[in-house]
Amino acid sequence: MPPTEHISKAFEADLEETRTRVLQMGGLVEAQILAAMRAYASGDAAIVEQVIENDRRVNGYEVAIDSACSHIVVRRQPAASDLRLIMGISKIVTDLERMGDEAEKIARMARALHQQGPQHAQRFPAIRHAADTALRMLRQALDAFARLDAAAAAEVLKEDPTIDSEFTSVLRQAITYMMEDPRTITAGLEIVWVAKAIERIGDHAKNVAEQVIYIVRGTDVRHTSFADVERELSKN
Amino acid sequence: MVSTTSVRPVSAAVPAPRAETEPDPAPKAAARGLSFYYGEVQALKNIDLVVHEHRVTALIGPSGCGKSTFLRCFNRMHDLYPGNRYEGEIRLYPDDMNLLDASVDPIEVRMRLAMVFQKPNPFPKSIFENVAYGLRVRGERSRRTLADKVEQALRAAALWDEVKDRLEEPAFNLSGGQQQRLCIARALATDPEMLLFDEPTSALDPIATASIEELITELKSRVTILIVTHNMQQAARVSDYTAYMYLGELIEFGRTDELFIKPKHKQTEDYITGRFG
Amino acid sequence: MRTDAPQPPRSAELAAMRELIRRHKRADIVFGLVGLVCMMVGVVTLLVLFVDLMIDGLPRFSRDFFMNFPSRHAERAGILSAWVGTCLVMLVTMVAAVPLGVAAGIYLEEYAPKNWVTDLIEINVTNLAGVPSIVYGLLALGLFVYIFGLGQSIATAGLTLALLILPVIIVTTREAIRAIPVAIREAAYGVGATRWQVVADHVLPYSIGGIMTGVIIGLARAIGETAPLITVGALTFIAFLPPSPLRSEAPYVSFEWLLSPFTVLPIQMFNWVSRPDEKFLLNAAATGIVIIVATLAMNALAIWLRYRLRKRIKW
Repeated sequence: MPPTEHISKAFEADLEETRTRVLQMGGLVEAQILAAMRAYASGDAAIVEQVIENDRRVNGYEVAIDSACSHIVVRRQPAASDLRLIMGISKIVTDLERMGDEAEKIARMARALHQQGPQHAQRFPAIRHAADTALRMLRQALDAFARLDAAAAAEVLKEDPTIDSEFTSVLRQAITYMMEDPRTITAGLEIVWVAKAIERIGDHAKNVAEQVIYIVRGTDVRHTSFADVERELSKN
Repeated sequence: MVSTTSVRPVSAAVPAPRAETEPDPAPKAAARGLSFYYGEVQALKNIDLVVHEHRVTALIGPSGCGKSTFLRCFNRMHDLYPGNRYEGEIRLYPDDMNLLDASVDPIEVRMRLAMVFQKPNPFPKSIFENVAYGLRVRGERSRRTLADKVEQALRAAALWDEVKDRLEEPAFNLSGGQQQRLCIARALATDPEMLLFDEPTSALDPIATASIEELITELKSRVTILIVTHNMQQAARVSDYTAYMYLGELIEFGRTDELFIKPKHKQTEDYITGRFG
Repeated sequence: MRTDAPQPPRSAELAAMRELIRRHKRADIVFGLVGLVCMMVGVVTLLVLFVDLMIDGLPRFSRDFFMNFPSRHAERAGILSAWVGTCLVMLVTMVAAVPLGVAAGIYLEEYAPKNWVTDLIEINVTNLAGVPSIVYGLLALGLFVYIFGLGQSIATAGLTLALLILPVIIVTTREAIRAIPVAIREAAYGVGATRWQVVADHVLPYSIGGIMTGVIIGLARAIGETAPLITVGALTFIAFLPPSPLRSEAPYVSFEWLLSPFTVLPIQMFNWVSRPDEKFLLNAAATGIVIIVATLAMNALAIWLRYRLRKRIKW
């Protein structure tokens, strides 16, 4: 958004590097979710191990970016858009880290589920759809962050009800599944947990998008209706 | 019957945190279409700005933007030098008079709006005489009254405990920060309606700066404060309202929080984020 | 590898650099010596003159020399009427020049509007300090002696010298006032002081050291002046004192002395120098010592005052 550069080249470089690392972290989290969903579909133990192992890298990113933010606050006393960027980033990395945790959770569930038989996972195509929606939301939110595009971020918020209804439909299917055959209750519960994790990923993606709107516009759109957000964004 | 007073609703016991800000207090002074000329050179261009009562208003901007010039209009300091010319007005409330009007004596204006300068500038006299001078100018002769007022002013300037045993010593024996607080006491001794600070900490170290800033925050319950500072963080720390000036124009004026988090103008944004130039 | 990183100089370069420094330092020494010689020419000449004066004049110093009137006999001649005349003329000069000069200086600095008229006055005042003193003598002859009818008196002499040193006092007063930082002045105006309050409470008290210095330096110049006094008609041979300013009956003071004829030290000296009898030259030398000592003493007083009064004030 700001076409002019800071007088301090070092400050400019610090901000740019931090932003790049957020995007790298986002890319890693995206890959983690994809891998977790592959593990869910295939039950491949190697992928599960890989996801668990990589979550440590996600955590590492969170710590490093947070400390970079503290560094910038202490040394540069950022104001206005810089301040909002740093505040936003420090919240975004928390959400990204939680998404990473959810991905790890999905991978662990996938392993447990497949130990009970490969047939269960295939019975719930809605989970696939929910995961696709969550991933799309995350990608869009990161894209909006990369371009500091409030309108693109607002699009992400629109998707949240979709993922919520997909979660509800998985839940309904799971209940039916378990009622038909009580032996599938353990597996059914695992399915519900996976769905819940995906729904949470969608929520975090929404949070990221809200932070992007804050960074760009300076308006806090958390806990407001989507109509309010659109009204806010349509101003000038 | 259930007593309505014995059970307090939860909502009353735990007030919800409010993000909205309080309404603006009444105006103490307002510049209206103020322009100022040093001879042929126009230093201020058509400035409109309201100074709210019992609040700290900060003026920021790059060197030469006219912020000090603007401040010095408020106590007619420019009248001391030839060739200066005002246009527009500065109204002082509640009496709604125009400070710049030719019929208003600049001496009256200076008695009502006191100034604290960039460098501590105590007179080469005793600590007591420095604080008492404003009263002496007003013809106060009673030793008792002088002593009382000097003590009050020194207490208000958080200097009394440090100097009460050496009021007769020369003011130059004080440290830089103490000298500046002495100058604040000198300004306070005559109960002014507004205090004008012209970069009051630019010659002080960080500790002395912190004590002056603390003092400014304490004083705003007594007087309305207008402060010029080239230190943006200082403006953010002490002020309730901030005005950003550039090349003699008022670019943006608003609540300090808003101006520093979400400025409306690109120029303000560039200045406070260090993208200037 | 960065190529522009500074490299430690090699020994050949080092040697060249050292040789260069040595060469440059030679110029230092040469100028130092030339300067020393130039300075000595001035100082030694003055010193020789002074010592010569002392050798000639000192033996003449006695109570009689100070308490006798001039006489045709060189041994009996004294400088009583001359030093009393000098003291009285200086008194008149001071009383006239100090209030005028200081007030004018304050007016120009604090009150006068800054425009081309004041600029013109300023330039003129500064230039007046450089006008030859004999011109002042001519002016005073016309003004005081003929127009005001003060005659060839102490009053005329005092006023003439007052005119002469007025520019010096005005200029030094203004410099002393200008040395007061703007911040102090603004501080006083800032609490609502009027111009006169600023002048009386701040400007004058803080600049008094500088002003006094100017006054004394002006008087020191006046004490040695001869030409204008000859022009206005100082007598060279006076064997009486002016009437005493104090009376035994009411109103106890008298200003008759103001209109009395007079002589002063430098004129007495000039008179003796022009005598053919060599013994009078010794008297002239002794008078010269008195004038030099008086001037030096006044300058010393000025330095001391400046030091004392400045010590209290630091900006």
